[in-house]
Amino acid sequence: MKLPNNVALKSRKKQIAVAIAIAVLVVLPLCIESDYIKHLLIMSCVGTILAMTFSMLYSSGLISLGAAAFYAVGAYTSTVLVMNTGLSFWLALPLTILVAAVLSLGFGAIFVRHAGVAFVIISLLFAQVVVIAAGQAEFLGGWGGIIGIPRPDPLGPVEFASKNSFYYLALAILLLVVLVFNALYSSRIGRAWRAIKLSPNLAGTLGINAYRYRLVSFVAGSTAAALSGSFYAHYAQTITPGAFGGWLSIYIQLYAVLGGLEFYIIGPVIGAVVMTFVPEYLRVLKEVEPIITGILLLIIILFFPDGILGSIKNSSSAGLDRFKSGMGGIKAWITQNR
Amino acid sequence: MLVNALTIGSIYILMVLGLDIILRGTKILNFAHGQLYMLGAYVLFLFFQTLHWNFALSLVLSGAVLALVGALSYLGVFAILSRRFTVSTTLSYRLLLSAMASVGLMMILQQGTLLAFGTQERGIQSPFPQVIDILDIRISVMRILIIFLSVLVCLLLYLLMYKTPFGRVLRAVSYDPEAVTLQGVNTFWIFVTCFALGSALAGLAGGIIAPLFSVTPAMGQNVIFLSFLVLLVGGIGSYRGTIAGGLLIGLLLSFGFQFLGGVAELFVFMLVILILVFRPGGILGEATE
Repeated sequence: MKLPNNVALKSRKKQIAVAIAIAVLVVLPLCIESDYIKHLLIMSCVGTILAMTFSMLYSSGLISLGAAAFYAVGAYTSTVLVMNTGLSFWLALPLTILVAAVLSLGFGAIFVRHAGVAFVIISLLFAQVVVIAAGQAEFLGGWGGIIGIPRPDPLGPVEFASKNSFYYLALAILLLVVLVFNALYSSRIGRAWRAIKLSPNLAGTLGINAYRYRLVSFVAGSTAAALSGSFYAHYAQTITPGAFGGWLSIYIQLYAVLGGLEFYIIGPVIGAVVMTFVPEYLRVLKEVEPIITGILLLIIILFFPDGILGSIKNSSSAGLDRFKSGMGGIKAWITQNR
Repeated sequence: MLVNALTIGSIYILMVLGLDIILRGTKILNFAHGQLYMLGAYVLFLFFQTLHWNFALSLVLSGAVLALVGALSYLGVFAILSRRFTVSTTLSYRLLLSAMASVGLMMILQQGTLLAFGTQERGIQSPFPQVIDILDIRISVMRILIIFLSVLVCLLLYLLMYKTPFGRVLRAVSYDPEAVTLQGVNTFWIFVTCFALGSALAGLAGGIIAPLFSVTPAMGQNVIFLSFLVLLVGGIGSYRGTIAGGLLIGLLLSFGFQFLGGVAELFVFMLVILILVFRPGGILGEATE
């Protein structure tokens, strides 16, 4: 079992790399003209957060096919709070987080008991049920959804009108989630998750209560998903139940797996960016797209199960090994012929 | 009404028995199962409606063709995948990769059928349009046939699983494949057989329901949702639980649609959650990791 490579920012090199990455992300929209590309960047941020929630559950050995469930819960909660009670977005956001935390604690307490196959099925069904519930409920707009959701109120001098402002908001939320998740992964909780994933029984004998730690990961993941859902609702200004169903949960997993499952934070980033941009530029027919995605999924799983980052790392470390053994051979040859 | 519920229930029982055999035998949660069911319906459509073959023969063919499809997809995808796994591979990783692979398969089969056959619904003329009267209740012969057939399949499957050497090996594989391999059994072909058998059951279910409802590419997605629900209620790996769960969900759904309308599925899901609170392993199953 490899240790995750992104747990703590220990080395100086890593700190510098992270600082450069953030600087690039901040400057990026100033260099781009097209609003469309900015839109894709914003959606990559949302996709990254969702994929990170999947990775978080996976890090504790739970496989969730319902990452979209709390995304939808967040979007609807925030919308209802803003539109029906007239709250400001900045007040609705923390309230949404609170609601999502309470709901995920309640549902999670039941769901997480069934680890393994049963959890996969329950999470999938739950995501479906949330969509059906939203579609059936009249006050949530039914299957037609809700339109005309207000934009976030101006924050001081900052008006939320241009793509740039939304991009910075998305980036801020993303960085916040990364910060919290990184703190969790590098804490005692994160170490317990990895132990549970490796072997729940062994972790149990070491005094780790698998149920409780898994519940923590479920609540943390669901809350982050709700946060991104709340942002999405006020960014898109329209939500329909259909937007949260269908293939969405599957795409979210694909982001995480494509980037690399062992890279809990940087993997989803890479996966989400690749999967948001590449299909847009391939411009395939809408009808053929699921087939191509399916084939892509099979190819990744059959031949590159470590994802993009994992494959790069494997090949580079294999290259390093070959180099080392080559050097060893040369050294031996030199000592023999001395 | 009751017959209706029983008909729906028996279709779910066939579906879930297939899912369960695959899950227990090969540890794959097969998301493509609904699409296999849909393919079964299309195979019947092809042979019975287009080529005008005998209904019984067409039905057997839809089972057989799907068994072939299942075996091929196992050999083509999951066999390659499982070669990567070693004893030290964590269970969650194994489960994730095989489930994702089946999701990929599902997308390909689903959209492939859509492109090949188009979105329009295709009706199949009922081979048994007669209606009989029992105590002033009119029941179509087709529905009775469906119930009868699934009882027959359940019995045959029971005999296969519990009374034959093959069934014994199959059950042993579901416990510990490594130990079975050490006993000199070629587990690879057992896995292939499991997948083929499960797929054949899905094909049969799709084939027999086809004359009752119309055949559409979307039919697989609708049925898989409730099949998973039945699997949960019945308990994974429980033969009797599956049958009880199928009947329960069938009853709840048809009465739910009668009295509640569109929220019936929500109501059933909530009920299942409630059942899981008190019986984590399903109504007749045992709680397992």
